[in-house]
Amino acid sequence: MLATNPTGQNGSAADRRGTAYIEVRNLSVAYGSKVVVKNISFSVGRGEHLSLLGPSGCGKSTTLRCIAGLETPIAGEIVIDGIPVFSSEKRINVPTEKRKLSMVFQSYAIWPHMTVFENVAYGLRVQRVSHSEVKQRVTDTLKMVGMEDFIDRPATDLSGGQQQRVALARAYASRPKAILLDEPLSNLDARLRVRMREEIKELQHKFDLSTIYVTHDQEEAMAISDRIIVMREGNIEQSGRPLEIYDTPRTRFVADFIGAANIIAGVPQGNSAAGGPVVKVGDALLECAPGSKLHAPDADGRHLVAVRTVYPEMRRAGSPRPNQWPGKIVRRVLLGDIVNYTVKWAGGELRLHAFPSDLFGEGEEVQIYIPAERAIPVMAD
Amino acid sequence: MSAVADMNTEKALVRASSLNVRPEVWVPLVLLIGTLGYPFFLLITSAFNVGDPEVFPARSYGFANFVKLADHLDWIKNTLIVAGGGTVLGITIGVSLAWIIHRTTMPGRKWFDLLIAIPYPLGPLVGALAWSQLGAPRDGLINRFFTAVTGIQTPLIDIYTPLGIIFTEAIFEAPVAVLIIGAAMQRMDPALEECSAIFGSGKLRTAWKVTLPLMMPAILSAALFMFTSMIGSFAIPTMLGTSSRFYVSTNAMYVLLQGYPPNYPLAAALGFVLIAMTAIAVWLVQRVLRGRSYAVISGKNYRPRQVNMGWLTWVLFALTILYVLLSLILPMGTLLLASFQNSNAINFDFASWTLRNYKYVMFDFPTTQQAIVNSLILGVGTGTIGVIFATFIAIATHRSKSDGRRLLEQVTMLPQAFPRLIFAIGFLWMILTLPIKLYGTLLAVLLAYVIVFLPLAYRGMSGVVVQIDKALEEAARVSGAGAARIARTVTLPLLRPGLLATWALLFMVSVREISASLFLSGTNTQVLGPAIFSFWDSGGMPRVSALAVVQALIILVALTVVRVMANRGVKV
Repeated sequence: MLATNPTGQNGSAADRRGTAYIEVRNLSVAYGSKVVVKNISFSVGRGEHLSLLGPSGCGKSTTLRCIAGLETPIAGEIVIDGIPVFSSEKRINVPTEKRKLSMVFQSYAIWPHMTVFENVAYGLRVQRVSHSEVKQRVTDTLKMVGMEDFIDRPATDLSGGQQQRVALARAYASRPKAILLDEPLSNLDARLRVRMREEIKELQHKFDLSTIYVTHDQEEAMAISDRIIVMREGNIEQSGRPLEIYDTPRTRFVADFIGAANIIAGVPQGNSAAGGPVVKVGDALLECAPGSKLHAPDADGRHLVAVRTVYPEMRRAGSPRPNQWPGKIVRRVLLGDIVNYTVKWAGGELRLHAFPSDLFGEGEEVQIYIPAERAIPVMAD
Repeated sequence: MSAVADMNTEKALVRASSLNVRPEVWVPLVLLIGTLGYPFFLLITSAFNVGDPEVFPARSYGFANFVKLADHLDWIKNTLIVAGGGTVLGITIGVSLAWIIHRTTMPGRKWFDLLIAIPYPLGPLVGALAWSQLGAPRDGLINRFFTAVTGIQTPLIDIYTPLGIIFTEAIFEAPVAVLIIGAAMQRMDPALEECSAIFGSGKLRTAWKVTLPLMMPAILSAALFMFTSMIGSFAIPTMLGTSSRFYVSTNAMYVLLQGYPPNYPLAAALGFVLIAMTAIAVWLVQRVLRGRSYAVISGKNYRPRQVNMGWLTWVLFALTILYVLLSLILPMGTLLLASFQNSNAINFDFASWTLRNYKYVMFDFPTTQQAIVNSLILGVGTGTIGVIFATFIAIATHRSKSDGRRLLEQVTMLPQAFPRLIFAIGFLWMILTLPIKLYGTLLAVLLAYVIVFLPLAYRGMSGVVVQIDKALEEAARVSGAGAARIARTVTLPLLRPGLLATWALLFMVSVREISASLFLSGTNTQVLGPAIFSFWDSGGMPRVSALAVVQALIILVALTVVRVMANRGVKV
């Protein structure tokens, strides 16, 4: 259960692009006597863009730093490009500087006593690349991030976004085996964050390098990666393509953490004609996704079903059908691009997202419909 | 599968959680505990020594020395009066000046900020020497001036009193308080005060209920620093108190050790009491500070809100000028004046002034000439070794993952709680018991300086090391750089401004030091502090003054060089 979810890799980039390039096996990390990463395994394909996603303290950054060699795990094995760089059993621990990786740090880690050029050239000079080639590659890489005009500036003169671009150029210029990004956008303001996200995506396509991207922002993870690993308290909670995780969360935690979801608790009532389980919620009978199965009940003996707030449909009238109930809007919150409604129905209260094109009013009587394939049984915590 | 892996994790965890002390921590720890612990051990055993007083460590023990000490309770009482009074006055000056400079709109704040810092590196020896000529009851310059102007024969001030000693101690230690409290003021979020004003508190209530409690940790640590350094201060009480037979513990110890035969055990017992007093002070301050969060005044610098005091600004201006006058201009002026004289009596007749005192101390008299050279060597040596050692420890305590980091930091800061004079005595006894001949060499003085000034060096370097983002070094590692390359291209360049400042500070305090070198510098290894002191002891004010001016000039040059370098934009 702690190992990689095998279904997560079906049809993913890892398969498309062939064998695993970075492999993490049974990795455990402890700070003192506190275990922060608990025996996790996963792999990254050649050229694959993987995100480690989770709340702070879930062990995602620690895992990344272990791959970089900046932390020493207490157990497990890490293989990069067929070469074991860490193995607790074989007592291998290749030092960071020999792992031929690049890393982008949350604080950018731009050396303040160097110019932009010197920052980007650093890794190339370590590799003893010839003088003229250093110049060429630094200029080329800075052009790609739109920073060629700043090449001779002292690094301290740059804004946050500019520093981040230099940090990216520095990471890509040395042509590493893989790029590790540790929450690279979390110090930027919201607007810049969206723009840099696009730029990182573009760089990923240009260079076609394996990347591991650590973030606590689900939007970022969805936008940037081929595959997402959701972590929680040192364990892998779920792994899969972005849409797969979004549409079929495995646990209540994933449903809550990614996007917004209604968690509906009910009692089993057999199966529907379509072959999905049915749960009784309040006075309502909710048909769940065909082919799915209810998980073990929570402490109160109830089974959980997640319904994303974007999927329920709301109409002013409609002919009766399964999974459709009358409801009444109790609260409406206008957010601009979207509108949040809270609707009272037979099963309690349901939150749903709609668009401002067709506004409903508070107190209005409506028909709500939950498509059965959008009601996903999830595991309780 | 999972169960097996879990067991492996369990086993690995047991391995990982066992004690892990790495060489970067235990090597300096062992070195420090040895060089601090053995002198301390000798002091304690000697304090309880009732046998042969010249045997180290002692063989028969008892409380006789402490019983004898009961006859001299006035030494301890006087020490407490001087240190307590000096701390109260010094903190009052420090808080006022820090507030004036950082929190008001008084003109010239920047210049005063520079000027106020100078008396500290000039040091108590220069201060005592200058004020003995300024404030002596009969022929002191101030009293002569007072009599000449008013015609009144009774002297205006007498510096040879406990109050005079307290005053001189306070004005020369106050700059440290200004520095510590001023730094805390700059790190306080002004929103904390603004919020209090929004809830309707007046300026005074805000100052009393918000600002003062937030400043309390800084004020207390400044007070502790002053108190411990005044308990161990030697030059001021000796030069200003001896003539009126006012003895504090340090000069009493000096007398006990210089007597024939030297009374080692009684001096050690007295030293033991002094160490106990500083230990109690440290403990008390830590108790009071416990549970107080520093979170509101740490991290980034704010621009504190500055108050326009209206007409009071000029009163504050006058007070600041008065401090600079009393602690810098008058003392330095007096020493300069005295150094040009032919005799002890100060003569204002310009035509009779001479430079031959300078020629004498710098060129003609080998002892003082050697003292100047030795002090420069010690300054450079202590600066260099101290900075290297302190940087190493700072990196170990802040970057290493080894156990025992906290302990290393505490042991490094320990000498701060030892009066330097007392440590030097223990150190002296230690090197006398060592098989290698260290006594009477400059190396012995150098070692003692490095140890007693290590807290100062560590404080400076650890402040710089914590400010350097760990990711800057990690980024270099990921880029493929090895340890040596990272040190050369990243760590050292980033540390450079801090290294320079700390080096200069160590240089200055070494050049002006007297307490630690008084007993350690032999006849062939004269250094400036003790040389000035023994010169003073044997009379000849003009020559002593010239030597003190030379010492002050060395310090001022170092201070200027650092300022210029800092202004050249050696950026962090």
